[in-house]
Amino acid sequence: MTTPFSLYLDRETGLHRLHPLTKLALALFYLVAGIAAPGVWGSYTVFLLLLPPALWGRIARPLLVAAGKAVLPFAVSLFLVQGFFWPGGTPILTLGPFSLKEEGLVFAIRSTGRILALVGSFLLLTLSTRPDRLMQALGERGTPQALTYILLTTLQIVPRFQEKARTILDAQRSRGLETEGNPWQRVRALLPLIQPLILGSIVDIEERAIALEVRAFGRSGPKTNLVALADSRGQQLARWLLLFGAVAVVGARLFLAVTGP
Amino acid sequence: MIEARHLTYHYPRAERPALNDLTLSIPAGQFCAVLGANGAGKSTLAYALTGFIPHFYRGRLEGKLEVAGNDVAQTPLAQLAGTVGFVFANPFNQITGAKFTVRQEIAFGLENLGVPPTEMAARVDEMLARMGLEEAADRSPIALSGGQQQRLAIASVLVMRPQVLVLDEPTSQLDPAGSEAIFRLLRTLAGDQEITIFLASHKVALIAEFADRALILSGGQIIDDGAPPAILADPGLERLGIIPSAYTELAHLARQRGLGNAGGPLPVTLAQAEAFFR
Repeated sequence: MTTPFSLYLDRETGLHRLHPLTKLALALFYLVAGIAAPGVWGSYTVFLLLLPPALWGRIARPLLVAAGKAVLPFAVSLFLVQGFFWPGGTPILTLGPFSLKEEGLVFAIRSTGRILALVGSFLLLTLSTRPDRLMQALGERGTPQALTYILLTTLQIVPRFQEKARTILDAQRSRGLETEGNPWQRVRALLPLIQPLILGSIVDIEERAIALEVRAFGRSGPKTNLVALADSRGQQLARWLLLFGAVAVVGARLFLAVTGP
Repeated sequence: MIEARHLTYHYPRAERPALNDLTLSIPAGQFCAVLGANGAGKSTLAYALTGFIPHFYRGRLEGKLEVAGNDVAQTPLAQLAGTVGFVFANPFNQITGAKFTVRQEIAFGLENLGVPPTEMAARVDEMLARMGLEEAADRSPIALSGGQQQRLAIASVLVMRPQVLVLDEPTSQLDPAGSEAIFRLLRTLAGDQEITIFLASHKVALIAEFADRALILSGGQIIDDGAPPAILADPGLERLGIIPSAYTELAHLARQRGLGNAGGPLPVTLAQAEAFFR
């Protein structure tokens, strides 16, 4: 059985009930603040500030776990590459021919913090917002339907594509294809998979286009929605404040950069 | 409701026509089934009736085709949608992929037609009940079984209340009971709601029981046309790539051995077979 590819966690909380655009504005604000935050630890502070809304939405633990998993590889490579191979710099620890440089370490900590804040804001939005609701909200604000359709359908087609690849692979394997073993054998096993998968998908796309036309997808004129998205004056105000706040943060950061120490 | 006159169609770069000088008239509210071997032109005719020929598949179309008062060659697909419904065999490809629940999937066509939300909700609920999908209403459409997806595909088109419903082997993933339920539904739609049904199917016994009329296609031409029991009670259908009903084949063998009714047509449905062997 296939399930759509989505990070969304279905919970009954105030955060989940917020209008998708409010959450989008919130995530955008965190994102801008996280990247613009000054100092070595500024971005980490912004990341910690993601926790209150995440706790409200009961998604704090999955947010931390997912953010950790996503950022770890970046963090490791940043520390190794920047920490040890920073040109010049002040050595603070020497291991044989390599030495850890202070400037490199600071750069790695700061960059990791920015990535963490970026991933965290994205997760706050995606863990608490159903993708179709977000796209409906964007569609209501004038985003072309073809674009929101492509974004949404990808989420459902990717798992389907994986399942299809598995089926084809199983079929080939039952006829004696070697798919395990050394890397060369694995690469060779891909070839008989590619053709049926690609050709089959082209046929699928043709039928899918027909199915969409049958459902009046190409019709111009006003469209309606089965489910209305709950919104309020307060949320509209909050969205404007968040957007204004994001611009203000960028402004302040530029001001600091020009006049700063 | 459907008027085709001297319809000839070549797929792009094809030398032989897929439809060959085909003339056909189907009145409103008729349940018309079409049979034939693979490549006989069933799907091509279905594509023509729904406008995908010539608007989607290019190629060369000659003759005249009118469906629900629209000259199909002149009417854009977007305008035919909602008036002419189309359901085809592979249910997965009929799921939009843009909706995360069965309920919303059914509503998709109505949203595009701009139906007001309260009316839409009522029509979707009615369709969920009618197609036995109530329990699946809040599940993801791609997590359904093949049979459920097929019922979902039919529901999603039917909810738009088309005047003409074209179906190309819509019961391929259904078990015998599920297939019979679909035929029974089509019978009701044609009888009570005056929806004109054009169905391509291989299920001879069900066609004989439920359809008003059967057409046999071969080489893009209609070679037989009439009341289903009359033209389907023929063990020689196999020549045309159609597998006759098991009742017909059994009765045919029985008659050769001097069993059953000596005269009259062979049975196609279970009820007719009962009468034949009594």
